[in-house]
Amino acid sequence: MYRSIARRTALLAAGLALLAIRPTQAQDTLNAYSIWPENWARPMLEEFTKASGIKVNFLRFSSGEALARVIAEKGNPKIDVLFGGPVETFAAGVKEGVFEPYKPPSFAALPARFKHPDGVWVAIADDPLVFMTNTKFLAENKLNAPASWDDLLNPAYKNGLQMADARTSGTAVTRIFSILEANGRDEEKAFAYMKKLRGNVQLYTKSGGGGTLPVGLGQASGGIFFIVDALDTKAKGYDVQISFPKEGIGTAAEGIALIKGAKSPELGKKLIDWASSPAMQSLFAVHKINFVPAHPEVKTEASLAAVLKGAKVFAIDDAYAGANRKRVVDRWVAEILP
Amino acid sequence: MAANPVAIRLEGISARFDHRVKGAVAAVDNVSLDVAPGELLTLLGPSGCGKTTTLRMIAGFQKPSAGRIQIGDQDVTEVMSNDRNIGFVFQNYALFPHLSVYENVAYGLRVRKLDDAAMRGAVGDVLALVGLKGYEGQMPHQLSGGEQQRVALARAIVIRPRVLLFDEPLSNLDAKLRVQMRGEIQRLQREVGITTVYVTHDQEEAMAISDRIAVMNKGVIAQLGSAEDLYQRPASAFVAKFIGRANLLRATVLARDGDRVTLDIAGRRHQAAATGAASSLGKTIQAVVRPEALAIDAAGAGASLPGTVVTRTYLGEKVEYLIAAGDETLQVVQLGPAEARRFPSGTSVGIRLPATGIHLIEEPEA
Amino acid sequence: MLWILLALFVVYPLAAMFGQAFLVDGRPSLAPLLSILALPNHRAAMWNSLVLGALVGVIGTAVGFLFAFTATRCNLPARWVRLLDVATLLPLISPPFTTSIAFVFSFGPRGLITYELLGVKGTNVYGLPSTLAAEVLTYFPIAYLALRPVLAAIGGNIEEMAFSLGSSRWRVFRTVTLPLTVPGLANAFLLLFAASLADFATPLILAGSRFPVLPTEAYLQITGLFDLKGGAVLSFLLLVPAAIVFLAQRYWVGRGHYVTVTGKSGAQSTLDGVSPGARAVLVAACAAVALSILYLYALLLYASVVVAFGANHALTLKHYVVIFTEGRKAIIDTLIIAFIGMPLGGLFGVLVGYLVARGEFRGRQAMEIASMVNYALPGTIVGIAYLIAFNDPPIALTGGALIIVACYVFRYSPTGTRTTIALLKQIDRGIEEASHSLGAGSFTTFRRVTLPLVLPAFFAGLGVVFIRSMTAISATIFLVSIDWVLITVRILENMTELSLGPAAAFSVFVIVLVMAVTSAISALLRRLPGPPGAASVAGLGG
Ligand SMILES: Nc1ncnc2c1ncn2[C@@H]1O[C@H](COP(=O)(O)OP(=O)(O)O)[C@@H](O)[C@H]1O
Ligand SMILES: [Mg+2]
Repeated sequence: MYRSIARRTALLAAGLALLAIRPTQAQDTLNAYSIWPENWARPMLEEFTKASGIKVNFLRFSSGEALARVIAEKGNPKIDVLFGGPVETFAAGVKEGVFEPYKPPSFAALPARFKHPDGVWVAIADDPLVFMTNTKFLAENKLNAPASWDDLLNPAYKNGLQMADARTSGTAVTRIFSILEANGRDEEKAFAYMKKLRGNVQLYTKSGGGGTLPVGLGQASGGIFFIVDALDTKAKGYDVQISFPKEGIGTAAEGIALIKGAKSPELGKKLIDWASSPAMQSLFAVHKINFVPAHPEVKTEASLAAVLKGAKVFAIDDAYAGANRKRVVDRWVAEILP
Repeated sequence: MAANPVAIRLEGISARFDHRVKGAVAAVDNVSLDVAPGELLTLLGPSGCGKTTTLRMIAGFQKPSAGRIQIGDQDVTEVMSNDRNIGFVFQNYALFPHLSVYENVAYGLRVRKLDDAAMRGAVGDVLALVGLKGYEGQMPHQLSGGEQQRVALARAIVIRPRVLLFDEPLSNLDAKLRVQMRGEIQRLQREVGITTVYVTHDQEEAMAISDRIAVMNKGVIAQLGSAEDLYQRPASAFVAKFIGRANLLRATVLARDGDRVTLDIAGRRHQAAATGAASSLGKTIQAVVRPEALAIDAAGAGASLPGTVVTRTYLGEKVEYLIAAGDETLQVVQLGPAEARRFPSGTSVGIRLPATGIHLIEEPEA
Repeated sequence: MLWILLALFVVYPLAAMFGQAFLVDGRPSLAPLLSILALPNHRAAMWNSLVLGALVGVIGTAVGFLFAFTATRCNLPARWVRLLDVATLLPLISPPFTTSIAFVFSFGPRGLITYELLGVKGTNVYGLPSTLAAEVLTYFPIAYLALRPVLAAIGGNIEEMAFSLGSSRWRVFRTVTLPLTVPGLANAFLLLFAASLADFATPLILAGSRFPVLPTEAYLQITGLFDLKGGAVLSFLLLVPAAIVFLAQRYWVGRGHYVTVTGKSGAQSTLDGVSPGARAVLVAACAAVALSILYLYALLLYASVVVAFGANHALTLKHYVVIFTEGRKAIIDTLIIAFIGMPLGGLFGVLVGYLVARGEFRGRQAMEIASMVNYALPGTIVGIAYLIAFNDPPIALTGGALIIVACYVFRYSPTGTRTTIALLKQIDRGIEEASHSLGAGSFTTFRRVTLPLVLPAFFAGLGVVFIRSMTAISATIFLVSIDWVLITVRILENMTELSLGPAAAFSVFVIVLVMAVTSAISALLRRLPGPPGAASVAGLGG
């Protein structure tokens, strides 16, 4: 009875569905997921195309999503390179076996904390955390920009801070390890501090930079962000203050890695060669991207260096972070989040 | 079988439904029926007896759970309704609300891919036939009930179907229109000569238009015959009561000689010419006596049954009485009653049984 | 055929997902479930989701009914009806996050309304009230679209008859209109409940950390903690309430059969359905809701033409330049996918609705349920399920457009399905049987009788698929690929990168485009001849 309806509809449907098939990309195109936001990834990758003639087709995801995709696509990888993103993400990927070790020419020149010993990933930049506060808020409350972790516990900030959620954001994980380091890796003390801080937190955002605009707009009074996001907010014209805690704050390496089973590994390697070398990192300044270069031969841009001057910044120990990451994040979810 | 051509043949068809409370219920139970070419046969019965279901099986809207259906010399049991070439007129007309009168009527022709000129001709003819010329551009909701009915009829006959099926087509019309339309349906059916199965619960309507009537009860055909057959020789108490009005009197057959019988009714002997219950000598049977066959006498006259008038209803050309006699209440109709033979309620009377026209039914009392 | 499609695109991915959730090393295990339930956050999320879904369902249905009733019974001037239509249309055709962001701008600590206008300090915009309000504003138009045809179809005669029986207007409303609308109301409630359960974009922005709901938790579990298993488990927790509501609705609505549209449909009522006083109240209430929606969108438009909202309010068109250069690929890809998915989804929805309402075969209910599953499920889960199921042979679809189209078709056709069922419940079966008896086969009958009669449902379904193709994100964010990118994913990127200008510009572009397409559809619909009840539906308004 209903068969002829179904059959004719199926024909129509098949015809339409055929339209959806499109020949796949040409062979000289490299595919990548970028964890770096579009406005930093795009200029860099365009520069790469200019330099090498290799087209890059990329899609942007936050670190957690990018990694989840890479893992889900393990059996049938869609990309060649995972580009940018804090080093914890890469450390997690190592465990899942989704990367192919590759040592670019710059490998030897990189300091130990900017590379995996086997070349599973290498760093292409360094990105310290900062405190960022709304200037108008500070003035209204007659406060100075926070200069200590304890300054953030001031009741004036109650329900006013925005920072990233550790479940999604590498920024948040780096922040938590910063607090651990600042407390001499005493977990109890660090969690006691975070519990107190919780009272002043208005919102844990999904992405690391999710709170910068609210702080810029005054929706939130302040927060803890990567310097690259904080300086960008300022550059957009929002009136914010950037400061560092005297106890010190962490910095995370930004990585790049070749995907295991990549369809165009040779092109991927060329991108890694380029990104881990001064060729790319000396362009940060040109494009006003406030990453600190990872390659020792590239000088930090002057105004960025000026912001960082005198700040106490320590590298997150990726061995320690990698070993304790899951447990610490789980504890954060269970104890701090609710 | 081949000797008598049939237009429709039902062979033991049944329809079973799963009922939430009662479980599997047979709405139609092992029904067999032949309809002759050109005949107008009516399925008549009380609501819920399975008329519509039977008709829908003939139309192919519903598959019989058992049995076979033949239209012409083709077995259509497995044939889809759209390949049966039938015309169906629905109780609520089921006009296509989004199509004009013209398009409604033309629908079946379009399906048959008639060319435009032929279609215009055919639609025009049939609209003239049902008296709706000039209504082509109207939408269904702009029509009165009677007009919608005619469109439904036109739509069904324009395709020259092998059989025409009506499901209570007049029940949504007012009484006058009903009488008028049933005349028109009959006229049209005669003119076009299409074999027709007509469903109704209205016995008067059935008797007025049918060649034959199949009385249905609880999913089976209780009796099949002409209107006269059914009225004069009902096969069961159910039919007797459903077709017209009937008094059913318990009786014992004391003697029988051809159609002359001697009955014992309520202890009184009564001799009459009777039909039915051929081999019933000595048995207790029921005697069907129509109200107009009974006569009323003043009390104590002759061999009549004694009784008391319960109600008397004056209806102009006739008077109807309800009379209590023993355990039973009898209906009596006096036609053209004279002023002298007037029995107000409460009067003691005698009821005179007729000498002819008694029909005997051999069945346990229902 | 339909069964194969449903099996492939509904059952199979879920089975893959189920395997992911409850198989540990190939053996069934409850350990993942128990470990998820051990966290108080997740238990709270489950409860919160139910509360939110129920509230959105009830309030959204009420607001939708208010609008539908006002539109069909108040004899409003055409221009007013148009205003209502536009206001209800906007949330339906908006990309995700727009209402939420506008909410934050309006009601946050420095919100235009709370701070600038009312001078309230330190307000907290995050939590149940704002999430609820935003979801109601976003989803009540679904109820409006579902209820308006029903109210229009009840129409004239029946209410006139009740009037003639001496009922007051209020009594008619209470004893006739409302009971007859019950299937529609239940239908609307279900749609809204499901929409709220599945929504993650609004809670992601507005729920805050103290009001976790299941979809965001599942999403964060998967995207953040790389925990597919945990996300799968959370989503199955979400399935339970969805299934309960669905079954309750079936039982409740299934009991009543309301055949009001027969072949002889009654004339449209010329009576006013409401008293002048009630009319004023209704119109005022609708206008208030409509104006608040328009306000939110005015804000969005403003944000798209200023350099940086909140900081630099100089007018500029640069954001539009950006979306048509850097964003061109996303726009083209999205359009291709939308225009393929649209007819497929509309047809599929009506077909399934038709089979479910009219078909006589075993498994009708199973088919209806199967067709609803992807809709009821959080999109995040559908996306991940598709990713797991279709990444590897035998059926490797990821990376193509087909998987996105399939996702849209199977996820967004249920609107068409349910509207079709609701309409068919009110159309006498005899109309189709009449067609069969006149020699038309099933397909011809479907095409020439059923389809025209359920055309409002078809276009509603088609419109919804198109709108969702342009605006959905929760499922497809997992299905976009290097070759096929969607506008909404770009908007999310822009949001997370805080490039609000391009995000707003993209949103405005999507809204304008969708409006153009849907008004083209409804203009088409208006020109088709139809029964008086159904013609006024014009499903998608201006
Ligand atoms: N689709 C159905 N499902 C269940 N029961 C039905 C169905 N159609 C008819 N019936 C039952 O079958 C019986 C006969 O119905 P029908 O043929 O419509 O009676 P009629 O037309 O003589 O009034 C009734 O008891 C009715 O309830
Ligand atoms: Mg009937």
